[in-house]
Amino acid sequence: MKKTMTLAVAAALLIGSIGVASAQVIEVDPNLPAYTKVDETIRGNLSSVGSDTMNNLMTLWAEGFRKHYPGVRVQVEGKGSSTAPPALIEATAQFGPMSRQMKAKEIDAFEEKYGFKPTHLRTSLDALAVFVHKDNPVASMTLEQVDAVFSKTRKRGFAEDVVTWGQMGLEGGWARRPISLYGRNSASGTYGFFKKVALKKGDYKDTVKEQPGSASVVQGITEDLYGIGYSGIGYRTSGVRIVPIAPDADSDPVAGTYENVASGKYPLGRHLNLYIVHQPGTDLDPLVREFVRFIFSKEGQEIVVKDGYFPLTAKSCAEELANIGVEMKLSRK
Amino acid sequence: MRSSSAQMEIETPTAGGHGSGERRRLVAVSGRRAPLAGFWRQGLPAVWSSGFMLLCVLAMLAGMLVLTLVRGLGHFWPSAMLQIETTSGAFLGPVRDTDVGRDASEAASERLQLKIGNRDLYGLDFRWFDSAAIQSRSHPQDAVTVEREEFGNFHGYLREVRVGERVVAGDAAWQALDAEINAARELRHRGLELDGQYEKTRKPLSKLEQKLESAQRQARARDDEASARIPELRGAIATEKERLAPVLQEIAAQRDGLVAERLARDALFEAADGTTKQIQLDEIVRAYRPNSMSAPAKVGLYVARLWEFIFHEPRESNTEGGIFPALFGTVLMVLLMTIAVVPLGIVAALYLHEYAREGPVLRAVRLAVNNLAGVPSIVFGMFGLAFFVYGIGGFIDRTFYAEALPAPTFGTGGILWASLTLALLTLPVVVVATEEGLASVPSANREGALALGATKWQTLWNVVLPQAVPGILTGVILAISRAAGEVAPLMLTGVVKLAPSLPLDGVFPFAHLERKFMHLGFHIYDVSMQSPNVEAAKPMVYSTTLLLLLLVVALNTVAIVVRNRMRQRYRGAAI
Repeated sequence: MKKTMTLAVAAALLIGSIGVASAQVIEVDPNLPAYTKVDETIRGNLSSVGSDTMNNLMTLWAEGFRKHYPGVRVQVEGKGSSTAPPALIEATAQFGPMSRQMKAKEIDAFEEKYGFKPTHLRTSLDALAVFVHKDNPVASMTLEQVDAVFSKTRKRGFAEDVVTWGQMGLEGGWARRPISLYGRNSASGTYGFFKKVALKKGDYKDTVKEQPGSASVVQGITEDLYGIGYSGIGYRTSGVRIVPIAPDADSDPVAGTYENVASGKYPLGRHLNLYIVHQPGTDLDPLVREFVRFIFSKEGQEIVVKDGYFPLTAKSCAEELANIGVEMKLSRK
Repeated sequence: MRSSSAQMEIETPTAGGHGSGERRRLVAVSGRRAPLAGFWRQGLPAVWSSGFMLLCVLAMLAGMLVLTLVRGLGHFWPSAMLQIETTSGAFLGPVRDTDVGRDASEAASERLQLKIGNRDLYGLDFRWFDSAAIQSRSHPQDAVTVEREEFGNFHGYLREVRVGERVVAGDAAWQALDAEINAARELRHRGLELDGQYEKTRKPLSKLEQKLESAQRQARARDDEASARIPELRGAIATEKERLAPVLQEIAAQRDGLVAERLARDALFEAADGTTKQIQLDEIVRAYRPNSMSAPAKVGLYVARLWEFIFHEPRESNTEGGIFPALFGTVLMVLLMTIAVVPLGIVAALYLHEYAREGPVLRAVRLAVNNLAGVPSIVFGMFGLAFFVYGIGGFIDRTFYAEALPAPTFGTGGILWASLTLALLTLPVVVVATEEGLASVPSANREGALALGATKWQTLWNVVLPQAVPGILTGVILAISRAAGEVAPLMLTGVVKLAPSLPLDGVFPFAHLERKFMHLGFHIYDVSMQSPNVEAAKPMVYSTTLLLLLLVVALNTVAIVVRNRMRQRYRGAAI
């Protein structure tokens, strides 16, 4: 009874914040300078293989980059973060976008081939969201509950296996309805990240319907009144609702807003990474260098916002660029 | 075939006689026994159930066609804009969906989904509204839909158009808008031309820079001769830079002038809730007022949007704009596949049918070919990846493109490898159909030719093959149908989400078969499963599906027409 009370109160609190979250318009840091074209012929193949979460982001960046350099040929492939390291090692791509960080094993394989470590760039911020159908009344969930819904090992230690919506505190017709689970396939970085962070490396239930893309997770939930699933926050639509997540049973639920993700309060925030091959101490290929400069420019970070993810501050952009030996002058306004 | 058809002719009357005798007896029988027995004996239930099954199949086919047609073609029609006032503000946009929701008290309430557009202002382009929360509805005549290159549609009202210092407001603004949009886009076009001119002028310098780059690469590999060349190249670059500087500066100045002129053109729009938004005119694809458009104007717009869909490049990560690269990639891939599979399949079938001696080996080969048709396509994809891409492609790279390594040229997926993989996939179809075609040539024709002193090869080439052409073409038709719809093997051998550079273009050597390509089937998968704005992209999925269906039908029709022509030609000559 007490639990339902808290849920009801939380619901009342959150309905307001959801309205704010969907209407939130994020501004890129005004200190971030616009991209300036270099006086050099930039042409050739720009090829990217990796994360499908970042697939659209890479595509949008590439489209924007081609406006500056029409001579560049672009090829973007995205079948999951795990496809990035082999592509970089086999040199079938210059860019390896990954929605998780490279594992030690992948870095070792890379080092074995090239003799140096891959260059890691944090391009933007993302939050994984737990989506439910737009008519689902559930107000918020704790990470323990999320774990108990998705995992059969329950490493976060929730008391019981959660299989019906009644166990989440819903009443009436909802109480006896089984929870229908949607998730990503195992090649995806989203799958790996959610498993690592929300499930504490536990195992997913066998009943999770594994989808080949993040958009199809959202589509599945849109069509399934009793569905729940996880995906990048950028894939939200009007047919689904984002459930605020509390880091543990004692804390308040946190909505996946820019402020909460940037401050680290939202438990499912992460960086979207880009890996490139860059031998330390040598000059970077001009095409790769300019593309990276474009990503960390005002236009590049605006594209991040357009795709539904969260931009970096001008300071972090400058730090990332320093990684590849490019200096950025902040424009003070 | 000839002998068997003669047999048929002899048999037919007997069979007919038999049948009518049977029927007479049945009638006699049914006269005496219960009528139901005749019903069963004549097999009427089987006839009815098979007829019913056929009806089901046709209904399913028609249903799918109608669904794709309606959803696919309806998308391009400019839909009316509804303005609603709600407690959370005013919104403007076409109604996309309605459903019945249940509120807290379990009472049913109607809801509608509006495409509110203005993604840059609201975050999402679609939104559900409870009809209870809607205070008023109207269809304002001056509501404007602005299709933009970025952030999707803008829905609102035009307030003013600005060209430099000149500002036009009110109704005059709407009159001026179209012309100014065209002017702005023209300016952008000219800017791109200037960019091209700049690159062309700079070409000698770029070439020197490339030489320097490769010399530096070789120098790193301890090539002393290359290191010796570096200072000389550096000097050449400096002189060239000095020589070209004035020309380049002039072009750049011109280009900057154009950019400034272009940026001076924008329009001020106001959204339904009163927020204003400045939009650069060259960012506008088109703007229209659907609520006050006449029917012919709507048809004109429909055609323009359909044209854009088929012949333009995709925008906004494939969720808007056109699909031309995917259409082109699909057609080219199917053509390349046909070129590869037809000679291979025919030669294999000729040997199997005409030269190979009957025996266990031949039977084993035939069995293998037939089984090949049943292998899942993803297995072909993996074979293509290992054999063509890594094997042959890697070999070509090491032999001919060694200077470009480690960046692969042929050693990565590309349209050539995808076509060859599909050629393997469809090979059994062509082999089997060709063999059937060869078997259908009457042996009298063969024997006649041989009796007249023709060699076996002459008989084959002049008598047998021409008559087998319709059969062979049937195989090609089946192969094309199969190949145009296949996606799984392509995902491993060269299809990508975005590859706007076509495999054929005006740059030497014109055909770039090593390039990756876009494909309609993969496009459907990608847009429906992985697009960031899946609601906005949904109509694109139906339109693309429709186009893929039409493409398969068109390719098949061409092949069928060719086959019928051939049949006509050899019908007289055969006997």
